Amino acid sequence: MKTFEEKWTAWLDGQLSGKELAEFESSLPDLAAAEAEKRDAQKLGAFLKEQLTTQAMSNEEFFSHQLHEWIARESAARHRSTSTWWTIPRLVWSGATALALFVITTVLLMSQHQPGEQSEYLTQILQSRVDPAANPNATISIFESKTDNKVTVLWTEGLQSLPADYAAK
Amino acid sequence: MQTETTPAQADVSELDLVRQCQAGQTDAFDQLVTRYRTRVFAMIYNMVHNEQDAWDLAQESFIKAWKSIGRFRGKSSFYTWIYRIVMNVTIDWLRKRQIKAGGAEFDDAIQLKEIDPASKTVPRADPLPHQRMEQHEIRARINHAISQLSPEHRAVILMKEIEEMQYHEIAQSLGCSIGTVMSRLFYARKKLQNSLRDVYENV
Repeated sequence: MKTFEEKWTAWLDGQLSGKELAEFESSLPDLAAAEAEKRDAQKLGAFLKEQLTTQAMSNEEFFSHQLHEWIARESAARHRSTSTWWTIPRLVWSGATALALFVITTVLLMSQHQPGEQSEYLTQILQSRVDPAANPNATISIFESKTDNKVTVLWTEGLQSLPADYAAK
Repeated sequence: MQTETTPAQADVSELDLVRQCQAGQTDAFDQLVTRYRTRVFAMIYNMVHNEQDAWDLAQESFIKAWKSIGRFRGKSSFYTWIYRIVMNVTIDWLRKRQIKAGGAEFDDAIQLKEIDPASKTVPRADPLPHQRMEQHEIRARINHAISQLSPEHRAVILMKEIEEMQYHEIAQSLGCSIGTVMSRLFYARKKLQNSLRDVYENV
């Protein structure tokens, strides 16, 4: 939805046509006055065009020469700053390469590592049975170390003899 | 938009020159500067009304153009692109100068009653000058009237009336919508009509 200002400007510059033009002109309270306003604005435009286009630039070649000199100085300075071997991009690339090598090496070593034997501290109780007749006061307690879950302590007390079918590995 | 070219230069397309600039060829940039320096200078001069300031701002604009030409993708014409830089540099300069001056130099306030489309447009009742105004006096009146506009309003009226740019080109140069351009044109014209009517009616 165009504002009045936008429609007026478009109308003044001849950018309205067809239905839009008819609608806008019919919305004006005094078309004749608006037409006069339009002519006045066009007169202003022509006047500005006539008066303001004559401003010439003096020393045009010197203008270009100054620019050329500035660009040459800037290019030379940039070349000097990029001639150092350890530039920031190179540092970044070196760091990224080192990191990539580290990751590749780690992955390779891990993939070659075979899972080892079960820890000697890990004991699986296969059978644990106390004959109440033979060992009336026997107690068996199992403790797990809080600091190392791979350590299990089997604590027996009051055994008269070890069961023959006891086995642990 | 007219540019300052020799026949040999005209053979090289603007986009080719831009590509050469992007490859670091300063000679190509020299050609672009030669094509646009007069227009750019005149545009800035009409906004700041001082030759030395216009010269410095034109230099700054072209330097910025050289620095950022690598980012030019050719989505708009080169002159629209460089005008955007010119407008940014010039409007920024005008704003800073306004802040330094410590006051509102621009007066965009315009009463709605002044823009009633039904109002009669007649020359002011002020007595006509007995002699035709000298050129520099006319110029001084125009400069004064333009200096009463905000930088954005100056930009749109100059790009439309002097450079004869299309709405969308002005919008691209100023980084605003076409509707904003049309609205600014409306107010800028009204303001200048009020300020300069006695001049252009009688010259």
